[in-house]
Amino acid sequence: MARGKAKDGDGNWKKFIWNSEKKELLGRTGGSWFKILLFYVIFYGCLAGIFIGTIQVMLLTVSEFEPKYQDRVAPPGLTQVPQVQKTEIAFTASDPRSYELYVRNLDNFLRDYSAEQQTENIVFQDCGDTPSEYKERGPYNDAQGQKKVCKFKREWLENCSGLNDPTYGYKDGKPCILVKLNRIIGFKPQAPANESLPPEIMAKYNPNLIPVHCVAKREEDADKIGTVEYYGMGGYPGFGLQYYPYYGKLLQPRYLQPLVAVQFTNLTYDMEVRVECRAYGQNIVYSDKDRFQGRFDIKFDIKSS
Amino acid sequence: MKRELELDDHKLDVKELEVKYSTSVTKGLSEAEAAQRLLRDGPNELRPPRGTPGCVRFGRQLAGGLQCLMWVAAAICLIAYGVQEGEGDRGSSDNLYLAVALIAVVVVTGCFGYYQEFKSTNIIASFRNLVPQQATVIRAGQVLQVNAAELVLGDLVEIKGGDRVPADIRILAAQGCKVDNSSLTGESEPQTRSPECTHESHLETRNIAFFSTMCLEGTATGLVISTGDRTVIGRIASLASGVGEEKTPIAVEIEHFVDIIAGLAVLFGGTFFTVALVIGYPFLRALVFFMAIVVAYVPEGLLATVTVCLSLTAKRLARRNCVVKNLEAVETLGSTSVICSDKTGTLTQNRMTVAHLWFDGQVHTADTTEDQSGQSFDQSSESWTLLSQVITLCNRAQFKPGQENVPVAQRDVIGDASESALLKFAEVTSGPVAAARGRFPKVAELPFNSTNKFQVRTGEGQVDTGGTGELRWDRWAQVGQVSSLMSPMMSPMSPMTSLMSPMSPTLSPLSPGFCARWLPPGTDTPPEDLAEVAQGLCFAGLVSLIDPPRATVPQAVRKCRTAGIRVRDMGTLGTSGTLGGVGGLGTLGGVPRCAQVCYLCRQARARVVTGSELAAMAPGTLEELLRTHPEMVFARTSPQQKLVIVESCQRLGSIVAVTGDGVNDSPALKKADIGVAMGIAGSDAAKNAADMILLDDNFASIVTGVEQGRLIFDNLKKSIAYTLTKNIPELAPYLIYITASVPLPLGCITILFIELCTDIFPSVSLAYERAESDIMHLRPRDPRRDRLVNEPLAAYSYFQIGVIQSFAGFVDYFVAMAQEGWWPGLVLGLRPRWEDEHEQELQDSYGQQWTFWQRRYQQYTCYTVFFISIEMCQIADVLIRKTRRLSLFQQGPFRNRTLVVAIVFQVCIGCFLCYCPGMPNVFNFMPIRFQWWLVPMPFGLLILVYDEIRKLGVRRHPGSE
Repeated sequence: MARGKAKDGDGNWKKFIWNSEKKELLGRTGGSWFKILLFYVIFYGCLAGIFIGTIQVMLLTVSEFEPKYQDRVAPPGLTQVPQVQKTEIAFTASDPRSYELYVRNLDNFLRDYSAEQQTENIVFQDCGDTPSEYKERGPYNDAQGQKKVCKFKREWLENCSGLNDPTYGYKDGKPCILVKLNRIIGFKPQAPANESLPPEIMAKYNPNLIPVHCVAKREEDADKIGTVEYYGMGGYPGFGLQYYPYYGKLLQPRYLQPLVAVQFTNLTYDMEVRVECRAYGQNIVYSDKDRFQGRFDIKFDIKSS
Repeated sequence: MKRELELDDHKLDVKELEVKYSTSVTKGLSEAEAAQRLLRDGPNELRPPRGTPGCVRFGRQLAGGLQCLMWVAAAICLIAYGVQEGEGDRGSSDNLYLAVALIAVVVVTGCFGYYQEFKSTNIIASFRNLVPQQATVIRAGQVLQVNAAELVLGDLVEIKGGDRVPADIRILAAQGCKVDNSSLTGESEPQTRSPECTHESHLETRNIAFFSTMCLEGTATGLVISTGDRTVIGRIASLASGVGEEKTPIAVEIEHFVDIIAGLAVLFGGTFFTVALVIGYPFLRALVFFMAIVVAYVPEGLLATVTVCLSLTAKRLARRNCVVKNLEAVETLGSTSVICSDKTGTLTQNRMTVAHLWFDGQVHTADTTEDQSGQSFDQSSESWTLLSQVITLCNRAQFKPGQENVPVAQRDVIGDASESALLKFAEVTSGPVAAARGRFPKVAELPFNSTNKFQVRTGEGQVDTGGTGELRWDRWAQVGQVSSLMSPMMSPMSPMTSLMSPMSPTLSPLSPGFCARWLPPGTDTPPEDLAEVAQGLCFAGLVSLIDPPRATVPQAVRKCRTAGIRVRDMGTLGTSGTLGGVGGLGTLGGVPRCAQVCYLCRQARARVVTGSELAAMAPGTLEELLRTHPEMVFARTSPQQKLVIVESCQRLGSIVAVTGDGVNDSPALKKADIGVAMGIAGSDAAKNAADMILLDDNFASIVTGVEQGRLIFDNLKKSIAYTLTKNIPELAPYLIYITASVPLPLGCITILFIELCTDIFPSVSLAYERAESDIMHLRPRDPRRDRLVNEPLAAYSYFQIGVIQSFAGFVDYFVAMAQEGWWPGLVLGLRPRWEDEHEQELQDSYGQQWTFWQRRYQQYTCYTVFFISIEMCQIADVLIRKTRRLSLFQQGPFRNRTLVVAIVFQVCIGCFLCYCPGMPNVFNFMPIRFQWWLVPMPFGLLILVYDEIRKLGVRRHPGSE
C-alpha cells in the first residue's frame, strides 16, 4: 500500500516536471510560462527603474565636496605608520630582513612628504614652522578651483625622517612609528584644555597644537618602554592647527596630514611591550569599543638576536 | 484489536463456571486465593493510558524540523566563533551572540509549545480523579465490603439498585434487576438482568452485567468473569488508547509548509555556500553565509503566531462553551466536511418525554420543548381524565423529596426513564401526582417485566395497566375504533408503506398504552393473580415517548448543510434517529426496537444502515454507500463499527468530526480528526478521547466551532502570507552581500528581531480580522487542494510584494550610505576592505578616513535603516493582507482595532530599538535620522496601490486569483 502510494507520487512528480499530455512544464504550458516571465520582466523592470531613479535623485541631493552627515566618522581615529597586522611590530635589530617590510612601508608613506614633492607653489603653501591658527579656505565647492595645501617638511621628523637613517632606527633596535590623525572633512581639532594633561605634554604646551603622547599600556610596563622621543613640526610633539580643516579629496587632492614621529630609543628586548599613543584635544574623544578613536595601541617585540 | 471480544461465559451453566473459575457459587473464594489472584491479575481498575514523560515531550518540542535547522545554524555560529577565538582574533563575538540568540529562540519557542501542551494535559488529568468504589463480595461464605479494585476473577459479588457494577459479572441470581448500560451502549433504556442466557452475543445477553454500568433497581448475585482492562469497557478504553493519534489537518499543513521552507532554506543556503566557496571565500565564512541564509529564510516567529492565533480562538470558543483540549483542533473543526453525531444527548435532550397522545381516536401533540414553553392540547375530554389518572397511578416512579421549588423538568426522579417521563408529564399536565396517588392508595402491584410486558396496579376500586406496544392486545376489552389504527403497529415486521403513514413517526410501537377498569370495592387480589384480574379493561389511550431533539438542533443542522457539511447519525445499540423533515434531523422518532428492516427515510438521499447490515457488508460497500448517500443514519452500531464508519469517511478524504458522550463512542472520538465530547452527559472516557468538549452539550456549539475554525484558517492564511513576505527582504541583503560584495545591509540579529519581536504583533492581530464574506455559505475546504500555503500565495508574497520590500530596503540602505560619505559606486565591491579589522583608515568617497569600528557602526546604521524599511513596508503589507478579495476600504482599514494597536506597537518597538541607549553594542541598532524613516514610505504606498489593483482585478474577473 505504502509502496504503491510512493510510486504514485513518483509518477506525479515526473508528470509535474513534464506533462506530455497537456504539454506542461512544471505545471504550466509554454504560453503560460511566457506570460508569467513577461509579467515578471516588466514588473522587475519597472521596479529597477524606480530604484535607479530614486538613487539618482538622491545623489543629486548629495554634495560632491562635502558629506551630508559625519556623525559616524567623527571624532577621528588615530593611526600609525607602518601599518601592521595585529598592531604588532616584531623584528630583530641584527636581521634587516625582519624589518624590511616596516621600512618599505614608511618609505612609501613618506614619499609624498619629500621636499621635491612639495615644490609646486600653486598647490602648496608654507604655513610656518610653528603651530598656528586654523587655515580657513572658503566654502566647500570648486567655485575658486582647488584649495591650497600646507607643506609638511620631512626634516621635522629628524631621526625618523629616513633622510639620515634609511632604516628609521630599526637597525639599532630604536624603532620609529609615525602617528597621524584620520582625515575628516571640515574637522577642526581643538587644542586640549589645561587640566588633566600628562606633565610631559604640559611642558611643551602650545595653544595651536594637538599633542601626541605615548605611554605603556599597562602600568607595570612603564619602566620597560624607556625613553620616547617625539619629532614633529618645529620640534613640537603634535599636530599644528594650520593643517585643519581638510577640504576633501576633490579640493585638496594632495593634502598632507601633519605627522608626529615617535621613536622608542630604549625599549626592553625579548618581551612584548604594549604602548598606547593618544592625541589630546577637546573634541578628540576615546571609545571603549573603538580602540582607534583618538588613540591606538601597538605592541613591540624586539628580539636581541 | 478491532475484533469484537469473544466471550462464552454467558452460555456456560453454573457448574461449568465453578470449574472454569475454580470457585464456589455459594461461598465464593477463600481470602488467600483471592489475594493470590489479585497478585496474578493486578487490581481491578482501568489503567490510564500511559502518558509520554515530560522531558521527552519537551525534547520533541526542541527537535522539530525548523528547530533542527536552527540548532545547526547555532552550531555553525559557535564553530565559527571557536575558530576565530582559536586564531586569537578577539573582539568579534558577534557569532557567539548570534549562537546564543538562536538557542534562546529555539528554547523559548519550545517552552511556549510545551506549556501549551502541558496545560491541555492537565485538563485531561483532572478527569481522572475518580472516587474509590466499594463492592460487596462473598468470600469464604462471608459477606464483606471491599474496595472494588481488589476484586479478582471468580469472586462472588452482590449488587443492588444504585450500585455501579464493580466488574464484568455473570449473573447467577437476580431479583428484578435492571441495569443502565448507557455508558457502554449510549442507550438510556434500562435493561433487565437475569440468570438466563438470552442472546448469542455477550453484549446483548441478559446474564452479563458490565463493569462501570449502573444497577438501577433490584438485586443480583454474580460471578466476576473479567476485571480491569480485560472487561468490555476496559477493552473499549484500551481500544481508544490503541487508536493512533491522527495528525490534525493544521498540523499536516504546517508540516507541509515547514518542509518546503526548510527545503528551500537548505537549498538556498547550500547554493550560496557553494558559490561562496567557488568565488574563493574561506570555508568558515561560507559556512557563516549558509547559516545566515537559513536564519533569514526560516520564519522563526511563525509557530508562535500560529499557536497564539489558535489559542485566541480557543479562548473565544471557551466563552461559547466549547473547551478545546488540543489547540489545533480549532482549525480542524473549520475544515470538517462530515460530522458523525451520536444521537443520544447530543442531538436530543437525553430525556424521555411524552411527545404524542392518542385518545378519542385522535392524536394529540404534547409539549416537548426543553423549557415547557410549547403549546398544550385540549384537555377537556373525559378520556383524557381517565388516561391521565392511569398515567399517574400506574407508575412506580417518584420524585426525590425536597424538590418542590425546582421546575418539574429538572427534578430528579427515582425510576426508569419511561416512567419518569410519564411522571413528569402527569405532574405538568394534571397537577401534583402525590395528591392523586393519595386519593387512590395502592392495594397491589405487578411491576413491569419482560415476560408480561405490562404493569398492573390495583388501587381502591380500579385496575390500571400500562404496557409497551408489544402488549398482548387481547387484553383490551374495548379496542373499538382503535383496532384499525393499531394493526400496523402490532407487527414488528411492519411493511414500509405503513410505517410511512402519517401516524408512524408519532406513535411508534414503543408507545405505552394505558387501560383501566373499575373494580368492585373491597376486592383483594394477591399480586401473583393480578395478571388474571387485568382483563376486560377499558382502553384509555396511547402515549408515545421520544427523546426530543434539542431546540437548537434543526437550525444548526440546516446551517451545517449550507456550509456543505454532511451530518451522519451514528445511533447506538437499539435506538437511532431518522433523518427527515424540513430541518434535517428535525424529527427524531424511534426506529422499531426489534426492526431488522432497512428503513428508508422520506428523502431518498438519506438512508439507514443498521449495525448488523454493516457487519455483513463487503469491504468497500460502506464507502460506496457513503459516497452515494449524503445523509445516513447508522442504527445499532457497536463501538468497533463506529470506528469503521469514521475510518471509511476518512478514506473518502473527508475530515470527520465525531460527537459522542458514552464510553462506546471513545474509539471513534479518538480516531476522528476531531472528537467532540459532551461536557454534562459525557463519560470520562469520552472526554479523555476527545479534542474538544461542549460544556453545554449543545450541538449548535459545534456549528459555532466550525465557523470559528474556518475563520481562523482564513486568518492564518493571511497571517502566513504576511509572515512569508519579509523573507525576501531578509534574504536579499545576503544575496547582494555575497554577489556584489557590499557591506552587509542587514544583520542576523536584526532579522531575528523582525521575526520574533516586531512582526509578531501584526501577524497575530490578523487573527482578529472579520470574515470577508459569509464563510458558512462556502463548502468545506478540500484538504488536498486548498492548502494553507499554495503556489499563487507564495509567489505573490515572495516575488512581488517581497521584492518591492527589498527594493525599499536597498534604496534606504544606499541613501544612508551615500549621505554618510559612501556613494553607491564605491560601495559595490567594498566588502573585503570594509570588513578588514586592521584597516583603520579606509577612505570614503570624500577622502575621509574611517576606522574599523566607525565603519562597523555605519554598518549597524544600515541594519537599522533596512530594518525600518522592512517595518514600514510590513505595515503596508499587513493592511493589504486584511482582505483577499475586497478592497481595503470596503473592509474598513481601521475596523480591526487590534491590528491598529499592533501597528502602533510595532512602530513603538522600532523606535525603542533605534533610540534606546545601549542598543548599538547589544543588539546592533543605531539611532537613525528621521528622513530615513520616510524613504521606504513611497514603497509602502506602492504596495498598497499595487495590491488594490490586484484585488480590483480579482473582483472584476472572479476565479482568476
